[in-house]
Amino acid sequence: MNLFRSEEHIVRWLAGREPGATISVAKLSELSQAWWDDRVSPDWVPHTREQNQAILERLGLTGAFWQLA
Amino acid sequence: VVDEPDLQLRRRTYAFLVEHGRAPVAAELGDPVETVAGWRRLHAEHAVVLNPGTDELRMLNPFSVVPTAYRVQAAGRWWYGNCAWDAFGICAALHADGRIETSCPDCGARRWSSSFGTNARTTIRSSSTSSSRRCAGGTTSSSPEAG
Repeated sequence: MNLFRSEEHIVRWLAGREPGATISVAKLSELSQAWWDDRVSPDWVPHTREQNQAILERLGLTGAFWQLA
Repeated sequence: VVDEPDLQLRRRTYAFLVEHGRAPVAAELGDPVETVAGWRRLHAEHAVVLNPGTDELRMLNPFSVVPTAYRVQAAGRWWYGNCAWDAFGICAALHADGRIETSCPDCGARRWSSSFGTNARTTIRSSSTSSSRRCAGGTTSSSPEAG
């Protein structure tokens, strides 16, 4: 995932290539909190695919791009 | 499936990283042969990422063990994230405010930073402009990882 100055910069950088998905930095921070919050905790256990998918859905990140394999 | 002994090895590996600000080498966590064997099992379960040629740690997600374009200042140290998501993830994992330094892949030369609070406040600053809230996290070719 890359961080751009603005959506205009994303469009220019893509140069006609097919885009993936674009989210705001605020949404990215929300996603990071939900996804990584427990990563160094002594109680960490691997997330299941369903748990991770639920995080994405709770944050409104739906659609084909956000479907975990 | 990660069994309890390997979960413990993973905990010790991450704890070493957080305490020392760098990833351990195998001998620093005990018997190096057993440690590498455990790391390989964790690698197979996507719980750590090893360099394929050397069996050294390369990623302890969201942390990168090697330098990247995403530098994070948090909890009194500088860290490297594997990507923008991971850079914010380092602050989340450490439960710390932090500053992320990177450059826009488009205009490159402009270096800018973000501060990030555990209350999810985000402010963006550019080195060349006083303030901008138009910055966007863009994903390009990969799908979200499963880990």
